[in-house]
Amino acid sequence: MKKILFLAVLGMFSWSALAADKLTLQLKWVTQAQFGGYFVAKEKGFYSDEGLDVTIKPGGPDIATPQVLAGGGADIIIEWIGSALATREKGVPLVNIAQTFKRAGLMLTCRKDSGIRSPSDFKGKTIGVWFGGNEYPLLSWLSKLGISASGGSNGVTLIKQGWNVDPLLQKQAHCVSTMSYNEYWQVIDAGLSPSDLVVFKYDGEGVAVLEDGLYVMENRLNDEKFVNKLARFLRASMKGWEYAGENPDKAADIVLENDDTGAQTEKHQRRMMREINKLVASSDQPNGIGYLDPSDYNRSVNVLLSSGDAVITKAPKGAWTHKVYEAMINL
Amino acid sequence: MFSSNTILILAIPQAVLVLLLLIKPFDKNNISSSLILTIVTIAGCTSVLVRIFELTHENPAWALWLYVIAQVIMIWESMSNWTRINTDHKPFIDNIVNLTVPFLFGASLIYLWEILTVGFNVPQILLPSPHLIALAFAKSTSVLWADFQQTFVKAVLSGYLIGCGSGFLIAIFIDRVPFLQKGLLPIGNLVSALPIVGVAPIMVMWFGFDWHSKAAVVVIMTFFPMLVNTLTGIAASGQMERDLMYSYASNYWQTLLLLRLPNALPFIFNAMKINSTLALIGAIVAEFFGTPIVGMGFRISIEVGRMNVDVVWATITVAAMSGSLFFALIALCERSMTAWHPSMRNR
Repeated sequence: MKKILFLAVLGMFSWSALAADKLTLQLKWVTQAQFGGYFVAKEKGFYSDEGLDVTIKPGGPDIATPQVLAGGGADIIIEWIGSALATREKGVPLVNIAQTFKRAGLMLTCRKDSGIRSPSDFKGKTIGVWFGGNEYPLLSWLSKLGISASGGSNGVTLIKQGWNVDPLLQKQAHCVSTMSYNEYWQVIDAGLSPSDLVVFKYDGEGVAVLEDGLYVMENRLNDEKFVNKLARFLRASMKGWEYAGENPDKAADIVLENDDTGAQTEKHQRRMMREINKLVASSDQPNGIGYLDPSDYNRSVNVLLSSGDAVITKAPKGAWTHKVYEAMINL
Repeated sequence: MFSSNTILILAIPQAVLVLLLLIKPFDKNNISSSLILTIVTIAGCTSVLVRIFELTHENPAWALWLYVIAQVIMIWESMSNWTRINTDHKPFIDNIVNLTVPFLFGASLIYLWEILTVGFNVPQILLPSPHLIALAFAKSTSVLWADFQQTFVKAVLSGYLIGCGSGFLIAIFIDRVPFLQKGLLPIGNLVSALPIVGVAPIMVMWFGFDWHSKAAVVVIMTFFPMLVNTLTGIAASGQMERDLMYSYASNYWQTLLLLRLPNALPFIFNAMKINSTLALIGAIVAEFFGTPIVGMGFRISIEVGRMNVDVVWATITVAAMSGSLFFALIALCERSMTAWHPSMRNR
């Protein structure tokens, strides 16, 4: 009799765990401070305060997050707008529900000794690009400048860069693609100093596209319960990003604790967290972190349509929504 | 395009044949019966193929599964009928049967792929249907041809020739200088165990982004199998034959050229066949780590990022076809040069 009562009491405790709503978030890259806000929200209990049980899956070099979403491996993914809109045009209807990063971190880093001082000096030079969706801003910029991307003395020779900055260090390319929060610092750590480098930020050249945003499958937004879950997730994630903005070192440490590979270092992550905070730019998001500004979206679509390499052939309809944001306000 | 009448005309013979088979099973195993069975099955399959493109969401999934299972049974029956044919060992009929069954098998796999992906609306970015892949192939032929030249002609062939050639020469060198066998073989072993994904970025750093670094990776991969196989082959000639050459007062080089190398040919061809597949794999994987913007590995990695999975499959098709043809060419050379070997005897 006592055993049955004991088991029943235990059962009642587990009920609260059953009540927590499950969500899976697929990251765009490996565990690093680029996703600090989500790790902070999980570690500090912001998700469980909202009654959510969130699983964060790290990404990596061979993981295309839209494929994970289409295959049912995640409920929400982090993706950049170019790849997301290309996937939408290929028949997988994903929708942007929040835009975490207001600013873009993609930039071109060149060696000063290559002689490049301004974009018109790109003619005849070799530029490293990652491809896989990251080439569209550069292609759009080159078509804006009227420089061809197929090599020759009046054009630019493109090479497919690996996930490192070796071409710049080995002098195999005059410029390489870097993220302001990651690869740029790898170049600095490798021994080059900022005075040896010339940096072009895509944001400043007007050819940046929106980067880290949250995307879900369109048909799931018809389910009111799922929208409610997403709204709670958004609220808790925003709190996480605000915390990361105010306490970058503590947030970086949380990310390091969650890094199963052990590949990240404290110095690199703390620096990355500070740079990411500049991209989240919470002071420039008066409606709150994650509110997608339609003018930013339209600018990105224009860049993608003019990249000359047809990532999308027509302006997409219904690719973003404020439904989750409004649900969050009304919670 | 196809009226429902055409579909019925295609499907009815199959239904009739199935009923006949249930009442009185075929016991004749000759070509005409197999041919009838196959043609009727193909007619039935075509009717399903045409129909699935008009499917809407209201059609229940179990109906499509019934179709699929019925077609699989018919295909199975027709193929087993082909293999049961009594050919009286006539070579002409033997050849027809030996060619038909693999062809039918491959065709039915592609057919099943098509109806399952189209019928169940599998998202194109997960698994595209064969007709989409064929369309992508037709649209990007010039791009695929440029990629083929960059990867196969420049990187694979040059790396293969250098790798196999150096493996062969070093093996003869080792045979001449016996102490090197103890020294070079373990190093060769080590070199072959290096993972491509570790070696490729280093080769790119040493030899640059172009095809030279990919050829270097292929050389590393193909060197050791050729070395080991040639060494084993050279040592494989029998004691009696070597004694005979000794009794003819032949020197080392004569024995090598007239006795030991011809005897080593089966082993050498074995290594060449292994190396043909290794070379293609090595070149494509090495291209993931840095290329100019052309090449099969480059095409696969960027089109996956752009969600153009049909172009990825078209590239895979090109790689598979070129790899198979390369292998077949070497097997053909082997058949003509080592026709004396017991493994070449017909059954």
